[in-house]
Parts: sequence; structure tokens; C-alpha cells
Amino acid sequence: MRWRRVRVLKSVQTKVCVDGSLMKEFVLDEPLSEGFLKFLEQFGTVRHLEQLKKPYFSFEKEHFVSIKGFVGDCNVEVRYKKEFQDLVADYFHLLLYYEREGGPGITKLKGVEESIRDKMKIRLGPSDGNSR
Amino acid sequence: MKHVPENTSSPVIYLNNAATTWPKPPEVIEEVARCLRAPFFEHGRSTAGGVTDYPSAARDALAVFFHAEEPGHFIFTQSATDSLNLLIHGFVKNRKTPFHAITTELEHNSVLRPLHTLEGEGRLTLSTVPFHDDRVTLQEIKKAIRSDTRLVVMTHGSNVLGSLQNIRPVAEYCASNDIFFIVDGAQTAGQIPINLSEIPAGAFVFTGHKALFGLPGTGGFYLQDPEAIASTRQGGTGTDSRDLAHPQDMPQKFEAGTPNYPGIASLLAGIRFIERQGQDAVMNKCRGLATLFIRELTRDPAITLYTPAPDLPVVSFNIGGLDSDEAGFILARANNIITRTGLHCAPLVHERIDGGKGCIRVSFSVFNTREQIETAAVAIREVAESAGS
Repeated sequence: MRWRRVRVLKSVQTKVCVDGSLMKEFVLDEPLSEGFLKFLEQFGTVRHLEQLKKPYFSFEKEHFVSIKGFVGDCNVEVRYKKEFQDLVADYFHLLLYYEREGGPGITKLKGVEESIRDKMKIRLGPSDGNSR
Repeated sequence: MKHVPENTSSPVIYLNNAATTWPKPPEVIEEVARCLRAPFFEHGRSTAGGVTDYPSAARDALAVFFHAEEPGHFIFTQSATDSLNLLIHGFVKNRKTPFHAITTELEHNSVLRPLHTLEGEGRLTLSTVPFHDDRVTLQEIKKAIRSDTRLVVMTHGSNVLGSLQNIRPVAEYCASNDIFFIVDGAQTAGQIPINLSEIPAGAFVFTGHKALFGLPGTGGFYLQDPEAIASTRQGGTGTDSRDLAHPQDMPQKFEAGTPNYPGIASLLAGIRFIERQGQDAVMNKCRGLATLFIRELTRDPAITLYTPAPDLPVVSFNIGGLDSDEAGFILARANNIITRTGLHCAPLVHERIDGGKGCIRVSFSVFNTREQIETAAVAIREVAESAGS
């Protein structure tokens, strides 16, 4: 069954962080779910502090993005790493887009990731860019 | 007392007062409104009768508050950073040859960056003195003194460690050795009693928006000897306008352009507020809140406290297993508790205390309550417990 995907309604805050990464806070049209966290686990490291009054999570994907937010919240903070901001500018939107496709979405997004990584490797040169 | 910002319905526990105090006293807000309701009293320019001369009134109030002899030697600026830039660059402009300057590891970037910029330009060489047990001593400064040392710039209170520095012996040593001494009082002005008549510093820097309860965009400095610093800004003063050379009399020498009248009005009202409360009462209440907060957190093994007994109401710590940034995010978004995280613009302090990764800082004002402190401590312990499980 295909569900309606979560959409970004607006970006409410943008700032450049000390390390040069770009932080954007997005407002979504529906709250983030546990299912979204399960989806994120396919693509990077998810930390989930479930015992808190508002269950906090963070997502870390080297060279791509980091995400901070709360399950059940419509606001989410996404930080785009400095080196490849142009290549990963759509990555969070792609996560939202492919989440509702389930397994096929994972496969498709992994494919997109590979093409982004190829561009990263070209930019870094032959000896770098192997970390996942 | 519950503090509810006007654009939200949730009460906020604001613990970022070392950055900017909030809320502001009602009389500050009223004074700013009063200032804006009437035409500004402008020195040397046509002006309406019966309105308050805020710059003069605020200079007089500052002179009484800090026990300074010359109200006209108080200069208004945008901030402590602005003051430090004017003083440091103005001092260098007065020197024809490069010289040696001393600063400390406790400093804010508002001191470090101007000095490093000038060092990079070959205008001075710089020694940075270490702190021990959260303090920089005269002994350490003396170790760094050279025959060509002409400038010492030092904080009065650390914005990370909350430690008060004993500036009087340093001021006395500098005064008797032809060394200009600039004190950065950003964290102490309004927070503790300060008697400038007993501290022979060349210049004392303050900011308006912290413990003096003024608006952001206000600050200044007190300068003992106007000849020691060259003016680095020139412009309209409303006086001696035919002369294209900038006036050298005080305070015009360092104040070009239209003053920040509403900001200066807020500063005046902030000083009056502290005087009405009593400086000692303000200090004791804030210290009491810091002590309570430390007592609440000190037994939690997941919390690393960097300020076990601060002189100023500043408490810095980290939660095991969490970046300070993440912890601050959770406290703000899940608990409406506003802290400050990261390096606090004092990178050398963090190299010493937390390996340069940064920490969470909470800082109190007279408007915080014991209930707020207890609520915040419970929330922090919950986050620590959750991160450790």
C-alpha cells in the first residue's frame, strides 16, 4: 500500500554553523514517526532517546547530512555537511520522498546515494571518499 | 514568576543570561518606550525642550554606579566587542613601532581576535598567559612581561568558568610600569559591585545587554586617560563642525554619529533597576541560584561539571554520551529551557577544560526562581539518564 509522503511545508531557520555546515529547520506537514526512524536506519546511524518526555532522535550520515528532531514533532533540524552541500542539498527531501515506498524506496535511494558518492569521489580525488 | 514570550504560549526557563539577560525589567521597557515617544535630546543640535538628555544622564548614572571620577570619560558603543576593538586598535594606532602585548587563555574572541589580527599585521607580538584553578595571577603575567610590553588585556570574569579575576594587583603593576591595562568587564558589570576609583586600569569595558539589563546594541568603556587611545572613527558630533579634524575632547573623541538613544535609555533604566534592587542583593540571589543548581547536579555521575564553585552565576557542564549541541537542542525543544552550548566564543578555555569540544552553559539572572532551577535540574538529569541508558 502506498501512503501519501510527508512533505516539507516551509523552512523556518537557516544558519551557517561554526564548522561551516549549513543548518536548516524545516516544518513538515505531518509529524515524524517511528517508521521514519526505521527507514533512516538503512542509511546511517540513528540514535533514539525514547525515554525522554519527547522522544529525541538524531541521524548521522558522514559527508551527507545530520538530522535532529523528536518523534511526533513536525519540526526537524537538518545539517548539511560543508564539503558537499551542493550534492546533498536534496537528500533530506529524498528521504521523505522514498520513505513511504518501503523496500523499493530503500533500493531506489541507495541507487541515488551511489551516484552522489561517485560525484564525491571525483571531487575528493582517487585516494579519498571511501568512507560510508 | 512564569516568563512567557509574546510569540508563544509556553513558559520559558531562560538560563542564558551570561549572553543576554531576559526578561528585561518592566522599567527598562517603559523607559525605552518613553524615549521613543518624544523627540530625542541631541547635543549641539536643535532639539525640543523638556526631554531627557539620555547620554548625559546615563554617563552620570554610570559614574555613580562604578565609582568613577569623570562621567565624560564613559564612551557609548554598540557592545563590549565594539569597545574592545576601539580600545585595542586605538592603542595600536597611537604607537609608531610594534610592541609586545599580553592576554590570557580566559579571554573571549572579542579580545583574542583583534589582538591576533594585529599580530598578523605585524603591529604587535602577543603572549597568552595560562590560567590555573580558573584564575590568571599577577605572577603569571609578570612571567610574560618583556621590556617592550605596552599592553595587557584581561577579562574581569570568565564567561565559561564563572571565575572572578583579581584585576586590582594587575592594574597596579601595569600602572607603575607604563603598561596600558584594558579590563573586559562584560561578565561583571552589573553582576558584582565594581569600584573603578580603586582599580587603576587604563580602560574598563562593559556591555549593556547582560547584567546591566539594557538592550542589545549597547555597551561602552571608561577611559582614564583619553590621550592613551587614538580615535579610529570620525564623523559628526554636533560640535565644532567647521573643523574637518575630528574633535579631541571627551566624549566626542570616541563618539561619532547619532547615539543609540533608546539603547542608552535602556541602560540608564537598567542601572536604576539594579540600584533599586541593591547590587549586593542581586549578586547574592544569582549566586544562590548557581549554588542550588550545582547542588542539584553535582551527584549525577553522568554530568561533568566544570564550575564546582563559580564566583559568577555561570555553570558549565557536559552530559556523558551527548554533544553539548544535542543536549541544548533537547532542553530547548522538549523542555523550553534555554541554555547556551558550544565554545561560547572562548576557544582557549575549552582547549583546557573539555578538549575543545565545547559544553553546555547555564547562567542566571535575578529574574530566575528556585523553582525554575529545580525544574531545569530535573530535566537535565532526565536527559543525562536517557543518554546513558
